[in-house]
This record gives sequence, structure tokens and C-alpha cells, in this order.
Amino acid sequence: MTSPPTAEDRLREALDALATGVTADPGAYGRVSAEWRRRERRRRLVLAILVAVVFALADAVGLWALNHADSGSHIIFDGPAPVEEKRPVERVGQP
Amino acid sequence: MARIRPVDPAPVKPASAGLPPYPGDLTRESALVALFDQHYTGLLRLAVLLGADDAEDIVAEAFCQLYRRWNRLRSTEAALPYLRSVICNLVRMRVRHLQVVRKHTERPGGPTDSAESEALLREDQRALVNALKGLPARQREALVLRYWLSLRETEIAAAMGISCGAVKSHTARGMAALTRVLTGHSRLPGKEEEHR
Repeated sequence: MTSPPTAEDRLREALDALATGVTADPGAYGRVSAEWRRRERRRRLVLAILVAVVFALADAVGLWALNHADSGSHIIFDGPAPVEEKRPVERVGQP
Repeated sequence: MARIRPVDPAPVKPASAGLPPYPGDLTRESALVALFDQHYTGLLRLAVLLGADDAEDIVAEAFCQLYRRWNRLRSTEAALPYLRSVICNLVRMRVRHLQVVRKHTERPGGPTDSAESEALLREDQRALVNALKGLPARQREALVLRYWLSLRETEIAAAMGISCGAVKSHTARGMAALTRVLTGHSRLPGKEEEHR
């Protein structure tokens, strides 16, 4: 004698019956893989464009700073420039 | 919506995609092809059972997210639980979105029935599935993951992003509601239980 199915058994049976009616489209892999590759390419393209924009901006700012700097003052070393003493050079022979 | 066929469990064969993969992505590609071949149909069924009206799009989105975050996985075995978790989240978001849309449009009647997928069900099974659809999303997820996928509580908790205690609570409440329906008391819990 078998016991009547419990609510859990009936739920499992109903879920199995509902799931059995669902099958995959045979062309699903091609569609999904094309989508994830397209997204990867777009992500890499956006990243490359972003890097290029950052480099271009950095170059532009550097060139602008150089262009507006005083040509008389030293950019890197702001201390007084060393003064070389000019001494007469002793040479032998004809001048 | 997933294509519905009476009884035709044909295996899913991978077809060639339009764009070739990057040379450095071949490992990721081959792992994803194997995952897709083995689990796509099951994940599609999971999305349908959770109440998704666009199950194919949701599973495709889950695979795209897995492809993007492949390097962040702890191991290859973590890929399937990750896919389940993404599908649960996406279906929940989709169902909530549809509830908001329906509230604003005030369309008469309940949620749209996917008559195609329920055509093969018996009358009592159809009543049970309708009762399952009336449950809050968390309870429905817990019941489907427990009684259809036969997952352990820790796996269900990981898929739903909640604690094991919350899984027990959602399962017990959902089962109690379904039992009430099966025994003739057709009062379903209101949506106010959604956030308990």
C-alpha cells in the first residue's frame, strides 16, 4: 500500500512537468556567444578610447604648460645658475 | 520567451558564432562552451520556473556577465552557482519591474499566464503552478531551488544571497501557503510578505 503523495511530492511533480515542456533553441549558442563577444569588443574599444583620451589630455596640458612658461627662467632648477670663472688659458705656441 | 515543445529533449549543440574570440580568451571560451552545452537548457528551465517571461534573454545576460567576470571566479566550479545566482537576481528584478508596470497601467486580471508552457499540465498541477506564481519572489525561488533542483540549504543561500535561516523561513512559509492551496484554502500570502 502506497501513501498518498505529500505536498512536496506534488510540487516536485508539477515543477518537473512544467520544466519538461521547455526546450532550448538550437541556435541559442551562436546568438549568445556573438553577444558576449560583441560586448567584450565594445568594452575593450571603450577602454582603449578612454586611455587614448587621457594620454591626449595629459600631452595637451604638458604642452600648454611649456608654451606658457617664461623662456628666461629655468623650468626644472629654480636656483641661481652657477657662474663659471673665465681665466686666461695658458697656451703654448702661436695664438 | 523560451521555445516550448511537447517532448523533444534534443541536446543543444554549439553553433559557430559570428566573431572569433581573442587569442588570449581561448580558455575562457572553451570553458563557457562546455558550460553552455551542459547547463543552458537547465538554466532556461530554472528561469521559466522562477516566473521569467523572457527566459532566453535572462539566461543570455547571465552568460554575458559570467564571460565578463570570468577572471574573478574563485574556481571553474563556481561558475554554475554564479549563473544560478545571476538568474535569480535578474528574474526577481524583472518580476518587480513588471509588477510596477502593471500597477501603473492598471490592467485588469492577474499576471500573464504562459499558456504554452502549461499546456501539458494536469488541472491540479496547473493550480499548483498558479499558486506558486502567486507567492512572493523569494519564497518561489526557495521552493524551486529546493524541490526542483534539489539544492542544499547552503547552495540555495548562496544562489539567493541570503542566510541559511532565511532560506528555511522562506521555504517553510512558501510550502505552508501551497499546502493551504492544495487543501482547499486558496488564500495566498499578500505581497506584504515579500520583504520579511
